[in-house]
Amino acid sequence: MSPRPGFMLEVDRSTPPTLFWHGEGFHLERLPEGSRVLYGPEPLEALADPVSAIRRALFEPLGDSAPLPELLRPGMRLTIAFDDVSLPLPPMRRPDVRQLVIEQVLDVAAEAGVDDVVLIAALALHRRMTDAELRHALGDRIYEAFAPHGLLRQHDAEEPAALVLLGETDQGETVEISRRAAESDLLVYVNINLVPMDGGHKSVATGLASYRSLRHHHNARTMQHSRSFMDQEHSELHSSNWRMGRFIAASGVKVFQIETTLNTDTFPEQFRFLQRREWEWTARDRAAFVASSSALARTPPRVARTIFHAIRSPHRMTSVQAGEVEAVHARTTANVYAQQLVEVDGQTDVLTMGLPYICPYNVNSIMNPILVACLGLGYFFNMYRGRPLVRQGGVVIMSHPTPWAFSPVHHPSYIDFFEQVLSETTDPLEVGKFEESFATDPWYVHLYRTGHAYHGVHPFYMWYWCAHALEHLGGVIVVGGDRAAVRRLGFTPASTMADALEMATDVVGPGPSITHLHAPPLVMADVR
Amino acid sequence: MKNGSPLGKLRAPLQRARFPWAAPTWPTGMERPAPDRGVGVDYDTQWARRYPARLARAVVLDNLTRPLAHAVAAPAVIGEEMLKLAEQPVILAANHASHLDTPLLLSVLPLPMRHRTVVAAAADHFFDRRWKAHLWAGALNAIPIERHRVNRRSADMAADLLEEGWNLVIFPEGGRSPDGWLQPFRGGAAYLAVRSGRPVVPVHLSGTWRLLPKEARRLHRGRTAVRFGAPLHPDPGEDARRFGTRIAAAITTMADEADSDWWTARRRAAAGVTPPGTGPVAAPWRRAWALGPDPASTEDEDPGRWAVRVGSR
Amino acid sequence: MRGLVFERNLPRFAAARVAASLAGSGRGIGVSPLRLTDLDAPELPGPGWARVRPLLAGICGSDLSTIDGRSSRYFEDIVSFPFVPGHEVVGVVEEPAAQGGPDAGTRIVVEPVLGCVARGIDPPCAACAAGHTGGCERVAFGHLAPGLQIGFCADTGGGWSAAGLVAHVSQLHPVPDALSDEDAVMVEPTACAVHAALAAGVVPGETVAVLGAGTLGLTFLAALRHLTRPGTVLAGAKHPHQRRLAAELGADVVVEPDQLTRAVRLRSRSLEASGGLTGGADVVVDCVGSAESLTECLGMVRPRGRLVLVGMPGTLRVDLAPLWHREVQLVGAYAYGTERTENGTRRTFDIAMEVVGRYELGGLVSAAYPVERFEEALAHAGAAGRRGSVKVVFDLRPKRRSRNGAAPGRVEEAIR
Repeated sequence: MSPRPGFMLEVDRSTPPTLFWHGEGFHLERLPEGSRVLYGPEPLEALADPVSAIRRALFEPLGDSAPLPELLRPGMRLTIAFDDVSLPLPPMRRPDVRQLVIEQVLDVAAEAGVDDVVLIAALALHRRMTDAELRHALGDRIYEAFAPHGLLRQHDAEEPAALVLLGETDQGETVEISRRAAESDLLVYVNINLVPMDGGHKSVATGLASYRSLRHHHNARTMQHSRSFMDQEHSELHSSNWRMGRFIAASGVKVFQIETTLNTDTFPEQFRFLQRREWEWTARDRAAFVASSSALARTPPRVARTIFHAIRSPHRMTSVQAGEVEAVHARTTANVYAQQLVEVDGQTDVLTMGLPYICPYNVNSIMNPILVACLGLGYFFNMYRGRPLVRQGGVVIMSHPTPWAFSPVHHPSYIDFFEQVLSETTDPLEVGKFEESFATDPWYVHLYRTGHAYHGVHPFYMWYWCAHALEHLGGVIVVGGDRAAVRRLGFTPASTMADALEMATDVVGPGPSITHLHAPPLVMADVR
Repeated sequence: MKNGSPLGKLRAPLQRARFPWAAPTWPTGMERPAPDRGVGVDYDTQWARRYPARLARAVVLDNLTRPLAHAVAAPAVIGEEMLKLAEQPVILAANHASHLDTPLLLSVLPLPMRHRTVVAAAADHFFDRRWKAHLWAGALNAIPIERHRVNRRSADMAADLLEEGWNLVIFPEGGRSPDGWLQPFRGGAAYLAVRSGRPVVPVHLSGTWRLLPKEARRLHRGRTAVRFGAPLHPDPGEDARRFGTRIAAAITTMADEADSDWWTARRRAAAGVTPPGTGPVAAPWRRAWALGPDPASTEDEDPGRWAVRVGSR
Repeated sequence: MRGLVFERNLPRFAAARVAASLAGSGRGIGVSPLRLTDLDAPELPGPGWARVRPLLAGICGSDLSTIDGRSSRYFEDIVSFPFVPGHEVVGVVEEPAAQGGPDAGTRIVVEPVLGCVARGIDPPCAACAAGHTGGCERVAFGHLAPGLQIGFCADTGGGWSAAGLVAHVSQLHPVPDALSDEDAVMVEPTACAVHAALAAGVVPGETVAVLGAGTLGLTFLAALRHLTRPGTVLAGAKHPHQRRLAAELGADVVVEPDQLTRAVRLRSRSLEASGGLTGGADVVVDCVGSAESLTECLGMVRPRGRLVLVGMPGTLRVDLAPLWHREVQLVGAYAYGTERTENGTRRTFDIAMEVVGRYELGGLVSAAYPVERFEEALAHAGAAGRRGSVKVVFDLRPKRRSRNGAAPGRVEEAIR
């Protein structure tokens, strides 16, 4: 049976309660009559033979590019960059897409006799990956052939000797990327395009860049003018990255881009009910829901977190294309839309969403309040094309426990940002005053380079991600969250959804239209 | 720590202990002969071949080492009948990739050979400290052999033992492989064979490198294979060098057999096109790549409907 | 007249220590050697002495330590039993001294340190001669019973008794009318803070971190702002009301105590190693005096910086390797005397009165109790932070009229 497209459900009296994510847990909420619920399309068929598809992509590239074997010759310098642990979400089952693609690339490289090969995790300012995470993404064979010799590296945006300044675009944007990547004869980038924001020129221009480059598009102004940053045609973030990417190509860096898309078969068997429509739940699904939600209610948060972060998603590759960056990305974007896009008529007054336990920045870690805001007002709010799902001045209601908890290993600068910057101001334009001191703080730099910490400036980027939403909305309410933490974020705490809807009517007026975003699995709204 | 505490009370008498309760100090001016360190090739392993040590070792080998080796390495033994073709004692020349090689090889040898075997072990690695020397001599019946220089003493000892009827296990590569490929073979096994007139049984161990490679931090479980080749006798008048080449060729052919199959290996050997087994001349990553994927690895993670895996590899 | 007296009774001392460690500070009163009893007014030891009737008498952290049995054995020789506690006293002169001093009816605050002058020792010791009465070498000698201060001496009485106390004229400071009784009772603790703030030797523009925001910490912040020109002042305060007051009294950054090191790190842009910062604040002030607070402070002071210990410590187990390795100066700050300021040599109490008046520190007096309800008073003082209070005092005024004119016998709570 072919997968059904997504659609907008009108809630009536016979509609069963809707599933809401709530961090490391979920519950059922009865939405008022007349609300709408946006369901994403069902997962598309994965490729039956991914390895052949990859080989075909390498040998039959798109755009102005020769097939990979012709680009390789003995004695050349080859660099293979790949997306870091923030993709895909949740982490895939083995074998990871990156493992499959890079193994094929290395087979071709071995046949061509290329000796000087280096692999780089394109972290930008994200945290370094642990050895276990690298093994998971690349597989043991690649790890053991490269890691012991120091040829499996992680991008270091704070080591001046490892960066090279290529110049400035015509808009004055500094372009500074990894020296190894820029000075290679060929740079192969292996991407996983989970959402339409990823990929294209952004892979190299952001993933292998330094703070000096990133600040030109990772700022509040750019994000406010990206409507949305998931729609590259209308995104200031993408315009800037495209300029930088074209500049990088013009500077002589040869990039062979390999992009892949995944289907939205997100949850393993025991959590299958999370991606099924509620009225189609079988008796098994209902039993699984009851069992898991009551077990989770009794589980201490730490244990619940361990359980959830151990989930390995069964999502698989649906397409792979390789070659010249822009040609490849056009095909990739079309494939992502085919899996995730749903047409929606009109905007709504109130948008509700249940936030899961994971976002790109807390894989195997704690979801702190800043990341909750980023996931809700950054990612989910911006999953639209055309106009936001919620109208100007509307209200977003998010459901998440929002614990006042931070990982001191992964997010040390977030703690200081939350305690000392947000207590002064929550305006994304105003917090920029402190950005420089966090970005250049020597201790954060040390932790980023040698530990597993996000860069000192990263919490600012999380806050900038919310800039468009904060400018657009009339209010933000968090249901079931830690009250002090929610207030520190500048949002309003509510204990139940009913209370939240009451509070929302104070902002949007009586009898508001309500839409619930039933995600994950990922869904993007094409709003007319 | 105050003097009143229990440890404090114990210290005082210990610190006061004098001769004859503690070892004496030498008076200044008296010449003290250099102490006989008794390590390395000077270590005397004779005690390990007396009955009590042999008995204990046999018990451990049969009841502990063998079951463990089968559980961890699941060895497939090929060519066992070759061992019967040669008259004991024999020299077993094997390739060396892992510390697992010796216990595994000893485990798969048939009785009574298993209990009448000594193992030549590197003097600088296994016999450099007295406690290590005691340990390996006792547990494996190891004898020290100098691998970096030619040493009269270790060669004499090995030859004497062969004459007494002990089988000898020796690794001509001289040390473990750093990357899974074969290293150049040294002449020790051939020399001993020519000198003592005993036959050489070539042995190939495959799969041990994947379980416990050099500089590994943990042991993996998996499958291995032990192949015994036809015994080789030095031709009359053949010098050790030529004989050594023949031994190396035999082991290399068995390595080819482990990679492909017996018939392909035989044909290639006959045509003289056996791959050298030392790996491609290329960057380390390509040498590792050329080893191929690990056939035993479970790459697909589908733990089943109700399994929840906590913690990742 | 009813008053509280502290007697020498070792078993009770020990029992109080156990009770306090189990139930909390100030809660071991029932088994402690402190008793409410009828007391006679103490005799005047000499012509230079005056009799004082207390109006308000504060409860200090050192008093609580003594009552809890936690004070160091160091003090045994310089305290004489039985004594009436209470050294933070604002009172009225009942019987003026035979020679000099204020007239009867003058409202005064008592400077409790019993130095050479008070003890009639001539010539005075080097410290008293230089005006640093806090360092007097003769506090256990002279014609008075041993006692470092009024409130720890068997011959002088103390503030916690309606029978009153006796004080030498050199110890009496008249209170200007502009200051209320509550302001006046804060003068003695503020004098400790003033002395500590000057001992800290803050160079203009330096970063100062203060750990602890009870009475000592808050008065220290006020004194710091009044007397020095620091760059950034960071305060670590456990309770919300303390944080609010710390911000009002001049702290630039106020955080919880376990976040203070992080805040100092961010401001000083240092790195972390060995459990503390590699850089840190120029001056760090410990207003708590425990092993944990001292360790925390050592971890946030910069190399060759100054760590001022203002809170009274006992016997502590602290790793001094950071002190040695980073050449930190550990400076003790006790009591008061005379200070050398840019305006010349002045008595600490005079400066303290200025600070109290300028910052209206009388507002820190959160609760006043009659002496009869001493168990509640001491329990409140021991848990002041948790209960949203700062300073708890005994009210011995006859008509018991406070600022809001509450009826006699009731506890007045006046939290600012």
